[in-house]
Amino acid sequence: MNSNFRVRNFVLISVALYLVLSLIAGYFNWPDLRRVNLVANVFTSGNPDSTGIAATSDTTAPIVIQKIASKDFNLYKRANLITSFNSDTTKPSLYSFVQKLHELKSGKKRKIRIGYFGDSMIEGDLLSQTLRKLMQGEFGGAGVGFVPVSTPNAGSRATVIHTFSNGWEDENFKENSRKDNLYLSGHTFHGNDDWFRVKDQTVKDSSAIIEKSLLCGTSGNAVTVMVDGTSQTIHPVGIFNRIPLRNDVSTAIKIAINDESLPVYGVSFESASGIIVDNFTFRGITGVEYNKIDSNFLKAVAEGNPYDLIIFQYGVNLMFRPNDMNFNWYAKIALPAIKKLKAAFPQADFLMTSTADRAFNYGGEYKSAVGIDTLIKVQASLAYETGSIFYNHFETMGGHDAIVRWAAATPSLANKDYVHPNARGADILGHYLFEAIMKDYHKLNHTK
Amino acid sequence: MPTFDLPAFLKEFLYDPKNPLLFNNGFFVFFFAAFIFLYYAFRNNIRTRRYIFCAFSLYFFYKASGLFVGLVIVSAIVDFFLSNAIYRQRNKGKRTALLVLSVLFNLGMLFYFKYTNFFIAVSNEMFHATFNPMNILLPVGISFYTFENLSYTIDVYRDELKPATKFSDYLLFLSFFPKLVMGPIVRAHDFLPQINEPYKITETDFAKGFFLIISGMFKKLVISDYLTLNYVNYIFDDPGRYTGLENLFAVYCYAAVIYCDFSGYSDVALGIARWLGFNIPVNFLSPYQSKNITEFWRRWHISLSSWLRDYLYIPIGGNRKGSVATYLFSALFFVGVFFSSRYLFSLSYIISGAITFGMLVLFLLPALIKKDKAGIPAGMNLLTTMLLGGFWHGASWNFIIWGALHGIALTVHKIWMLLTGKALAKVNNRWWYNAIAIIITFHFVCFCWIFFKASDLHAGMVMIKQILYDFKPSVWNAFFNNYKPVLGMLLLAGLLHAIPDSLADRVIGRFKRVPLIAYIVIFFAFVVVYGYFKSAEQVLPIYLQF
Repeated sequence: MNSNFRVRNFVLISVALYLVLSLIAGYFNWPDLRRVNLVANVFTSGNPDSTGIAATSDTTAPIVIQKIASKDFNLYKRANLITSFNSDTTKPSLYSFVQKLHELKSGKKRKIRIGYFGDSMIEGDLLSQTLRKLMQGEFGGAGVGFVPVSTPNAGSRATVIHTFSNGWEDENFKENSRKDNLYLSGHTFHGNDDWFRVKDQTVKDSSAIIEKSLLCGTSGNAVTVMVDGTSQTIHPVGIFNRIPLRNDVSTAIKIAINDESLPVYGVSFESASGIIVDNFTFRGITGVEYNKIDSNFLKAVAEGNPYDLIIFQYGVNLMFRPNDMNFNWYAKIALPAIKKLKAAFPQADFLMTSTADRAFNYGGEYKSAVGIDTLIKVQASLAYETGSIFYNHFETMGGHDAIVRWAAATPSLANKDYVHPNARGADILGHYLFEAIMKDYHKLNHTK
Repeated sequence: MPTFDLPAFLKEFLYDPKNPLLFNNGFFVFFFAAFIFLYYAFRNNIRTRRYIFCAFSLYFFYKASGLFVGLVIVSAIVDFFLSNAIYRQRNKGKRTALLVLSVLFNLGMLFYFKYTNFFIAVSNEMFHATFNPMNILLPVGISFYTFENLSYTIDVYRDELKPATKFSDYLLFLSFFPKLVMGPIVRAHDFLPQINEPYKITETDFAKGFFLIISGMFKKLVISDYLTLNYVNYIFDDPGRYTGLENLFAVYCYAAVIYCDFSGYSDVALGIARWLGFNIPVNFLSPYQSKNITEFWRRWHISLSSWLRDYLYIPIGGNRKGSVATYLFSALFFVGVFFSSRYLFSLSYIISGAITFGMLVLFLLPALIKKDKAGIPAGMNLLTTMLLGGFWHGASWNFIIWGALHGIALTVHKIWMLLTGKALAKVNNRWWYNAIAIIITFHFVCFCWIFFKASDLHAGMVMIKQILYDFKPSVWNAFFNNYKPVLGMLLLAGLLHAIPDSLADRVIGRFKRVPLIAYIVIFFAFVVVYGYFKSAEQVLPIYLQF
């Protein structure tokens, strides 16, 4: 028997039924069915929020913004602008930092130290490597700066060749059974017949003298370390120590340590003068972890590494659920951490950046996290309240849904986790940040 | 209250580059209903029915790829006239000239759209030139219909096929909408005779077609899309951020994704064809159940591997003799092995030379073992076929490497059979031997998928490195808790794949006539499941190391 009529009957009945159900669902605005609604494209809904996203936004700022006549809080929304919220935007915001840059540019020999603090967005020296290259190109200086003893994903960092033995004991923000002082990187290592080797890939001038120093805590005793195969006795007596090991044109160093009691942080590659950019990345954190570090230890670190600019870039890990709209809890715990860091590094300008864009899948379509505007407002109010300086990565990279466009670009600029710009994208962010710093720097000339 | 948006409604009928037509668009539902209504209404008027079919197919093409629909029409015209000219022409030289013309036309078109930028990039690197890449978009389905054109004119040339006498027959063969985007590659001698047959299908055809369509959609739209968005994409994008365990599962998931995607699409095409009274040969036969790599290629994308056998492997000499192409591509391969060892993996000249020599010996071994001179070109022909077959999948080194790996594996398997065939005759039918063989074959295929999917060679190597040196089994609990839905979906894919191919046929055969309402219920159940997973909360990556 020929059953061809069954095909027609099935298709026509199913489609008719489907259409009727779609119209009913559309009429009553059942958001859960939008993705399979046949008529979703041709009916504009009467309800402005038809995406099914909860609109209970908490827009009140967590911190009471004190209205000061000379300040304009809303400057935080501007792209490509480093702002101290000063209404007069012709004056520099990184006031003391750009003065120091000016001294360096005018020929004075001095080191300018930038500490770039961040989460996985700057892992692998992303962003900071671009900033370092451009700043050193403009103002001089050489060396990759700080490199920890070991890192996950060490192979993907292009600015160093980094190898290490497997025995290092790693105390960190997530696990610190020894109750160690953790370094700015969030880690402290202990080695028992362990080694690490770092080759700085950023130094292009083969005649540049690079000082290579061991950064460590103290064990109370003199310690013998092997430096490139030669044994050397060091005396780490302070709670934080910067111990120069070699000062020559070589760009690699291998350090072996056989003293478990010595807390080891890493090695630093620095020229005697110019710009040094240290990358302090730790996955999955929000910056509040710095509140756990002891103030006296931080002050000792500040004496050893007098930072001139601290860049503080977090936020993406606060958006770990797609529908979060309230970040007041973050403001409460971040405030003491920021105040603590600021107090420990009084000579540094403190630049807080907003999170970059992050997107979630809302009913089948990737869009910026619904809470991102609120989060950035919270971040800006933290900067405003603590007298810090603010820079908006999110607006600079293109605002809403930028990460979706970046992931879709050819070649792509971001990963399809819709969180992380890739190396190409991070390079663009680094250029933007550099240009914003330079814009601020050039305001110095107008002021004078 | 929702209001009807007329401009949006009218725009639905035009091609939208952001939303090309696929089986899962809402528009397709209406398209298909209108088509079935007309196809059935004119079922006894063969000519009108054919014209309706052509019109809908071309319109589908237009909605899927815009003005590139013109390419299909032009290539149908060219090949229709050339094939008839070949058929009428009795002079052997002129016949060959016409065939060469057809081959040049089809390959030229494929080459221009698919490979121009690849060769611009290669020549820029080799000669330090700076040609700008051209702004060429890849027309949807071009890889499939150029191959269909080629097999058609070659069959006519070989006197194996009488060319279509009506242009609309040929146009329909080429543009038949169910197979447009991802095949299968249909052969004219299978398809053409079915076009003008009475529209007659049995109850089994109806049930089997329904099963193929729903199961194909489920594989493609539920399993494959879910795993891609919620796991595979972000791990493959930046493998260095994830532990070896996560990377290994990304490879397994991708194996599921590519199978479900490809075979799911094929199944839908076969199912729709079945409903319209057409039988298209099956394209996938549970390929991951293969016990060796040779068997894998008999079960994976069968329409492509048989095409490559008939129109590439055999013409360049098959297992008897070599040809210019054989030695050209084989020589390129060995040069490529040498240079990639030397410059990609920074090995010394001596080691690179040794590896290249080893490869050469490998491909000569079957001939040496059999003491058969014809074995030498046979091995090289196989290599050439796999290299070009890999390249067909896309214009990048990744696919060439992928093809080369499979070519090497096919040869290794051949040697293994020659060396152990007799010795293992007693055990090689035991279940445990088969189980081991299936596991090894599956893992080799997975290993090759890394190169197939990775964005570039470097990303692929990072992935392998993570799996080998950064495996971290200790993260299992955290991994399992976070990725439960992903692992569940992977398990489901595995179970579906494990079901014997004949089971569905046997079950369908047992039922006499199921009332229509049962089909409708199953269809809507599918829609709900599809809608649920489409908007399910995402599985987000966790970072398992600090």
